Amino acid sequence: MRFIRTKAVVATVGLALSLAACGDAGEDGGEATDVDVAENAADEFEDGTAMKEFAESGKITIGVKYDQPGIGFKGATDDMPVGFDPEIGKILAGSLGIAPEDITWKETISDNREPFLQEGEVDLVIASYSITDERRQIVGQAGPYYVTGQQLLVRADSEIETLEDVAGTEVCSVTGSTSLENIKAEGAKPRGFDTYSECVDQVLSGTVDAMTTDGAILLGYAAENPDELKVVVEPFSEERYGVGYSLDKPEMCQWIVDTLTEAQDNGDWATAFEATLGQSGVETPEPPAMDECPAA
Amino acid sequence: MTAQGTATVSAGRGEPLVVLSGVQKHFGQLHALKDIDLTVKRGEVVVVIGPSGSGKSTLCRTINRLETIDEGTITLDGKALPQEGKALAALRAEVGMVFQSFNLFAHKTILENVTLGPIKVRGTGRSEAEKRARELLDRVGVGHQAEKYPAQLSGGQQQRVAIARALAMEPKVMLFDEPTSALDPEMIKEVLDVMVDLAEQGMTMIVVTHEMGFARTAAHRVVFMADGAIVEENTPEEFFTNPRSDRAKDFLGKILKH
Amino acid sequence: MDAVFSNSGEYLMAFGLTIGLFVVSGIASLVLGTLLAVMRVGPVSILNKAAAVYVTLFRNTPLLMIFIFIFIAMPVLGYNFKFVEGVEIAGYNVSAFFFRACLALTLYTSAFVCEAMRSGVNAVPLGQAEAGRAIGLTFAQSMNLVILPQAARAVIPPLTSVLIALAKNTSVAAAFGIAEATATMRSFTNDNADQRIGIFLAFAIGYVVVVEVISLSSYLVERKVKVAR
Repeated sequence: MRFIRTKAVVATVGLALSLAACGDAGEDGGEATDVDVAENAADEFEDGTAMKEFAESGKITIGVKYDQPGIGFKGATDDMPVGFDPEIGKILAGSLGIAPEDITWKETISDNREPFLQEGEVDLVIASYSITDERRQIVGQAGPYYVTGQQLLVRADSEIETLEDVAGTEVCSVTGSTSLENIKAEGAKPRGFDTYSECVDQVLSGTVDAMTTDGAILLGYAAENPDELKVVVEPFSEERYGVGYSLDKPEMCQWIVDTLTEAQDNGDWATAFEATLGQSGVETPEPPAMDECPAA
Repeated sequence: MTAQGTATVSAGRGEPLVVLSGVQKHFGQLHALKDIDLTVKRGEVVVVIGPSGSGKSTLCRTINRLETIDEGTITLDGKALPQEGKALAALRAEVGMVFQSFNLFAHKTILENVTLGPIKVRGTGRSEAEKRARELLDRVGVGHQAEKYPAQLSGGQQQRVAIARALAMEPKVMLFDEPTSALDPEMIKEVLDVMVDLAEQGMTMIVVTHEMGFARTAAHRVVFMADGAIVEENTPEEFFTNPRSDRAKDFLGKILKH
Repeated sequence: MDAVFSNSGEYLMAFGLTIGLFVVSGIASLVLGTLLAVMRVGPVSILNKAAAVYVTLFRNTPLLMIFIFIFIAMPVLGYNFKFVEGVEIAGYNVSAFFFRACLALTLYTSAFVCEAMRSGVNAVPLGQAEAGRAIGLTFAQSMNLVILPQAARAVIPPLTSVLIALAKNTSVAAAFGIAEATATMRSFTNDNADQRIGIFLAFAIGYVVVVEVISLSSYLVERKVKVAR
């Protein structure tokens, strides 16, 4: 496969860092990076595959989160979502010869990820989408491309230091999320909200004692309010983010795994991480090993 | 005005009970009551007549302040009408009122209609209130209907219940606002009989009506109103046989022809 | 639907919370709404206007906005109603979240109750109030003894609609920290994405049952009031 380097969005990591340092909430979702866009990509794929279709039409629709700084975030006035998930999307689209500006982004929330895939509303879901056996019954999930774990976000003066401390406290997350159930199992009172930002507000105003979800998301919020918020406790769950696709197009799995493996090997994965999640100060982790695709 | 006439007519009766002086009332542009002076003495039966729109119903309703007045004073038994609140409620309890459309409480039985006031306003015990209510219902001839609801009674019966309801409060004065106007002709008499009976027993009554027969037989005095003012007042006999004002002549000419 | 059957305890608790929200804010809305209706038809001009402003404000505001105001804006301003957690009712501590949800639902629903009540009061002929006053009843007595009992009849059908709307509106609380039926449904589907339809049906049936109980009760009350005529 031959690649050319294109400047998708003119922005450097340095600029992004300086903006983040100014505490601009809208920017800490990370900045877009250069991606590889394959030339004549359609030739690479067999006839009748979904990839061939995408490459020939030059169009792909990707569902991402719009409300998770660092992961997938889009401000009301932004043109494109930013974050690690959109970066992964750009890498995948690039392998099909589709430039970042030609990707159709769609907001998916936790509730509608499966229906959107099943109904063909989106071609891919890259939306902090944890791989689970139940989900794999009805949609395809290739990956994981990133592994994170559930942690707690508390006020700087909070007395919650260990996971045991949450028993009897009120902890918020997104309504219906796995994080909320995990924390309930720890003896906390679960408080579900529609969005992470509403949940953060609850922590800031002292209405709830903590917020819980994947550490990556929490770090983004902590970076926004370093004086008021902190992330505590070791990750107490393992969330393996996968790329969702429709089971009607099983051939997509191997393509996703191959493309992302290549990105891991050639450093594009690390670049994407550093430009997004890495800005909250965490070190770039070792890329995770990906699951075998189910036999077709 | 006929202040002197009034004094003559009312001579021999008790002291003044209801006194209106200089009463003015407007409904927007309409000057509904024009400088009304009227004194009703204890035990007196005053019939107010006049063409429709002459202000006679309004006059009647100002006496228990169902209509407020713009100017002037109204006193009952020497006391001015209170403006609002509990004092006004207490005053209204002293003034019985019978409406053209009966206005019985639709969700209560006949007996409950009559006992509600005594129990809730006067604080009378239930059994005593019911005993007295049955007596009153017997007196107006609907005692056997006590357990029914108003809608199950004829108009005439309902109006007699309304009279009993007012009497149950043992009022000092009874106001009748066209009590027979909404009744079928065959029921008018049964209501008038009760009223005549009441008059004979010495109840102070102010009656707005078109029933000239009642005015002749039961009234001590007739007040004739037109365009919001009292035009003439006199004994029924004088008024009907020898009206002084042109408006009264005209009015009587119209109603007595038929 | 396996997910629901094997977690029937959670399912029932979720609807328990939905019913709890409905009952508490339903009673509070009826009381507040009736009071507002009395203020609106009453003789005191300032109360009259205050009630009118209240109804205009809360009837014309989306419920979600009221929730956002109470749950997101008010805590920032320093009002988080945490003090209610000191209150103990029958051994249970009131949760501030439950209180806030009931507050939002009550503020909203009472405006509709007021209007339903007012239409009922207006359906009672003016002569009834006059007759009440004429025998010396105070305004409050005439309301209690004469107007409201008669208004009740006219009020039951519109009030039933208001209460049914309330039962379903409790689902807005799902996004505000209350693990009621809708929130629990979302949690079930998150865990069991493969059983989405079954879970949806199970919860939809739950709501249908709740609403049917409300309309049946309303029918029974309506019949009873008619017999009393």
